Amino acid sequence: MTQPLLLDVRGLDGGYEPLQIFRKIDLQLAQGGAVGLFGPNGHGKTTFLRTLSGIIDPWDGNIFFEGVQLNRPGPRGSRRWRNFNYDAVTRRRMDAKAVARAGLIHVPQGNLLFPDMTVAETLSIAPYASSGRASASERLDYVFHLFPRVKERRTSKIRFLSGGERQMVAIGVGLMAAPKLLILDEPTLGLSPKLRGELSEAILTIRQSGVPLIVVDQDIAFLESLIDVLYLFDHGRISRRIEKADMPTHEEIMKLMFGEDHQ
Amino acid sequence: MTLDTIALILLGGVVLGALYALMATGLALVWTTLGIFNFAHGTFIALGAYIAWQIASTDAFGAGFVVGSLVSVIGMFLIGTAVYYLLIKPFERSPDIVVKSVITTLAGATILENLINIAWGPRNKQLGAVLTGDIQIIGLVISRNEAAAVAVSLLILAALGIFLQRAPLGRAMRAVAQNREAAQLMGIDVVRLYAVAFGLSAALAAIAGILIGSIRFMNPLMGSDPLMKALIVVIFGGIARFTGPIYAAFIVGLLEAFMTYAVGLYWSPTVLFVIMIVVLVAKPEGLFGKHRKSV
Repeated sequence: MTQPLLLDVRGLDGGYEPLQIFRKIDLQLAQGGAVGLFGPNGHGKTTFLRTLSGIIDPWDGNIFFEGVQLNRPGPRGSRRWRNFNYDAVTRRRMDAKAVARAGLIHVPQGNLLFPDMTVAETLSIAPYASSGRASASERLDYVFHLFPRVKERRTSKIRFLSGGERQMVAIGVGLMAAPKLLILDEPTLGLSPKLRGELSEAILTIRQSGVPLIVVDQDIAFLESLIDVLYLFDHGRISRRIEKADMPTHEEIMKLMFGEDHQ
Repeated sequence: MTLDTIALILLGGVVLGALYALMATGLALVWTTLGIFNFAHGTFIALGAYIAWQIASTDAFGAGFVVGSLVSVIGMFLIGTAVYYLLIKPFERSPDIVVKSVITTLAGATILENLINIAWGPRNKQLGAVLTGDIQIIGLVISRNEAAAVAVSLLILAALGIFLQRAPLGRAMRAVAQNREAAQLMGIDVVRLYAVAFGLSAALAAIAGILIGSIRFMNPLMGSDPLMKALIVVIFGGIARFTGPIYAAFIVGLLEAFMTYAVGLYWSPTVLFVIMIVVLVAKPEGLFGKHRKSV
């Protein structure tokens, strides 16, 4: 092996105790690559991404980022110990802060950010995660260049922004953190077609500048323009891995997922 | 009521208001960042005063007021973080953390109070006036010591305000208060930040305790009445803004001073509570409150 994979997820189990949401997830991402996750709502994509970024603990399996293991190895403790106070008795198996500082940046779905802080203040917090990987002012110029709208609204409080502007700020915050891998969870969810187009274009620019991505979206055409590999997510498992070369159309995907024609 | 009496009452009210503002801001800091109410805050006030006394007083170590205050503030910062790790951190992610922390901080308050009793005894002590003599401000005579206490309170509140607005750590604190998960995803160490917020709040309590010990006197229960007032102030003023509790503190201080004059010491808390209930019924978010919580 010459170069370690950027992200290597092996046999990951997880969920919200006592409910297991996803099982045995394997996902590989090469340096400089981009993958898409596609699947119906409520099948565990977001939970999987929350586990990946350390918000909730994985139950079993391993996560390697640039060859470094992010989680504590081995399955979690026995059931007897889990009945006691998790935060007092059990050590966390993953640390969101460490994940972010390693460069794995997660822009969550429907991010509400900090309602009572201004856009500029919000952007000024992000460099916590970049831990000296990039100069903050350069990143800020880049974000303002990419989203001129964010620059216009930089003195407004987040709660006065529209949904689209908020999403732009959220992605901008992710970029401020100088990501080695950027996770975007449904970045265009609930936006008007016009805004969706604007945002998709910006994400494409980000991708072309060489930032590796994991993108969840329901729009196959948008994903196809962005990624090398598509993973189909189904009932908490990855049901299929599709290379870009044989990317299916929307109708074929529907057929794959639901087993019938949806014309 | 002569003009002189009014002036005296006003001065007394301003001094009270400055002290309440310090205590209420400490409480509000924890309430907004951690979302819990710290019932040990009053005991922090007493403990801070006693530590300062132990270091400063000529009856004890006799190291002087400045050294005593510094040791007390730094010591209380550390004790505050320890209290956070022992009493609050274990319930970090439990959904009823508010209820549990009421019990654990009450327990902590009782334990600390008894420790103070054992260490220093229940009798009143005095930290002693730092500055002697009076000064005149626009024709009003006020003791230098009380004027200094007001000035110190206002300076510290201003510094805290600037810290929360400008400093990266202060901004991170406001961020965690508004959206814990998003803050985590930005690489902010939430647990350490909570500990720092708790420690800062305890340090503010220590400063309040030192000022009270210097212009009044101290005993192990000295914090319980101010805690009650600070609670009124926080609820009265709302916590939507950093400045809300500060304005409210001065209003409550002045009200209390006038009430004490008008209806006597015995009835003034009752009247205060009645006013508070009326305000809350009319405006549940507090006088200066908006609908959402943030620092």
